[in-house]
Order: sequence, then C-alpha cells, then structure tokens
Amino acid sequence: MKDHLPQSLDEQLASLARDIPPPRNLWPGISRSLREHPRRVRPLALAAAAGIVGACVASALTWAVLHGRPESPAAQSAARAPTFDEPRNPRYMAARDDLELNFRERLALLDPATRARIEASLAVIRRAHEDIRKALASDPASPVLEQLWDSTWHDELDLYDHVVRATQPTMTRT
Amino acid sequence: MGAAAEPAGSAEAAELIAAAAGGDLDAFERLYRHYSPRVYGLCLRLTGQREAAEDCTQESFVAAWRALRSFEQRSLFSTWLHRIAVHTVLARRRGLRIEYEVPEPVSGLPEVADPGSAGPPLDLERAIAGLPEGARHVLVLVGIYGFSHAEAAATLGVAEGTCKAQLHRARGLLAAVLGLEES
Repeated sequence: MKDHLPQSLDEQLASLARDIPPPRNLWPGISRSLREHPRRVRPLALAAAAGIVGACVASALTWAVLHGRPESPAAQSAARAPTFDEPRNPRYMAARDDLELNFRERLALLDPATRARIEASLAVIRRAHEDIRKALASDPASPVLEQLWDSTWHDELDLYDHVVRATQPTMTRT
Repeated sequence: MGAAAEPAGSAEAAELIAAAAGGDLDAFERLYRHYSPRVYGLCLRLTGQREAAEDCTQESFVAAWRALRSFEQRSLFSTWLHRIAVHTVLARRRGLRIEYEVPEPVSGLPEVADPGSAGPPLDLERAIAGLPEGARHVLVLVGIYGFSHAEAAATLGVAEGTCKAQLHRARGLLAAVLGLEES
C-alpha cells in the first residue's frame, strides 16, 4: 500500500472531495417533512398587526387615564392576544416599546417594594432571553431552545400585561 | 472554515435565503440543490454510514428551514448550515445510540478525480471511517472541511485542547494504517 501512497497525509486529506452528491434525491423527503410539519410562521403582517395593536392599547390606556375609565374589554383582550418573536422587526420593536412605556408608567405608581420585585423578575426574564439567544447562536437547530426563546418573549409581554391590568384600579381612582 | 461557494454570488444567495426565510419553498429547494453535496459529504464522513448520512442530511435541511428566520447573515449561510449538520449528526448519535466506530467499509465515497494522486483514496476514506469517533469527528471537521480548531471545538462541545489532541491522535492512527510518515 505504501508504494501507492507517495503523498503526505495532509496532501491526501486535502485532495479528498468535500462535496459528495447524495446517492439519491433527498429533496422529496425534505419537502414532505416541511409540508407535513410547517414551521410556525410569524409573518410581517403579524408584526404590523402587533404595531397597530400596540398603538391602540397605548391610546386606550392614555384615554383611560385621562378620562378615569377602565380600558375597554377589547383593548384588554388585544393586549393579551399578540405573541410574536420578531425582535429585530422595527414595527414589532415600536409596538413593544409602546407597551413597555405603559408598563413603566404603571410601574411608577406602585410601592417601592413591589416595584423592586417586578424589576427583578423582568431582569431574570431578560437574562434568560439573552442566554437563550447565545445558545441559539451556537445551536440554531434546537427545537427546545426555540421554544424557550418564544417562551421568554411571552413571559416579558405577560409581565407587562399583568402589571398594566393589576394597576388599572389605581389608575382609575386617580 | 471551508465553505461551499454561495450560489452565484452573495447577492443571489442572500435573496434565496431571504425568500426561503419568508416561506418560499422553491427558493429553499435551490439552496438545497446547491448545498446538499457538501452537507451530505460532511454527514457521510462524520457518521461513516450512508443511510445515516442521508437521514442526517434530510434532518439538517429540515432544521435549517425551521431555524432560517434566526439566521442573521453575520456568517456565511454555508457555515451556519454545516454547523447544523454537525449538531444533527451528534444529536442523532446521542438519541439513537448508533455505533459509528465499527470500521466497516464505507460505500458511496468517491474516488478523487485527480489522476496525479497516486494513492487509492478509498483506502484513506476507509481508514478515516475506522477512526475512533472523537478523532474522526475532529479530523473530518479540521482536516477535510477546514474548520478552525476553535470552530470545531465549539461545534463539537469540547475544549480546543481536546480538539488538537484528537487531531494529533487521528493523524497518527491514519499514518499508521496507511503506512505513511506523519507530515
């Protein structure tokens, strides 16, 4: 065998073909799998809807504060309904910023101890989110991480929603 | 890392990736057509088994489709895809407890086309397939597919020093099997 191998090991390794066509067409199986188990699509339309919802919620909350009335059931429902994970989408970010602004306004009305607990919870959620983001960067195919990624976004929005709703009586009394 | 060239330039690749991320299956099929030989080759050499490599290739593209929206184009798509392929192989091995260390002959591996290469490359492929798993994984990633030690270590979940040691071990074993002087 040695007579047939005058090349160095590195040269032989370098000479190996990196591309090896699959012996059969794998696309039909892939395509079938993608059609049978479609990914959860969160299109731009949803982010746009979120932006509208966020603006509506912000307006409703402002109106409620100024007029001393509770926000409408529809607005409350809308605040809870959207869940999305497109943090880089500018429309989503705008909607989220609106919600966070309302959350901050309501949070300021709470006593310091309660406020500190909520801030601590929010910090935990955001740390978890950042950890998961880093993990996803190295393991983007992990369905568990993807689920956790979704979950932390929902947790943050749920926290905003809970605070806003929990402080509603306080707001309407003032 | 040694990446497959992006299809017809980065602009077209970016368009295909963006379209596929938006749900365009035809665009994703074009990406599959371009990248599947490299992914299959990687899976075949990591697993040492044709059927496992086919399964891993399919699973890699399914995983890529599902994760495509999280691809931020800070790295090459091929780099990202190859990392998914390696993770798919490792996850499959953990889940199914496939024994890859049996040094059985590998089918489906090509001869090197270069007539100037003196050695029969299938011997080399068989020798690689017969390496212990850890050594084979590092040799395939670093020695054949051009991962840096840091990339290979991160992808395989081992320390960089372990990666280097495994490569040294793999090279020594290969040289012994093939009757070569280590270069």
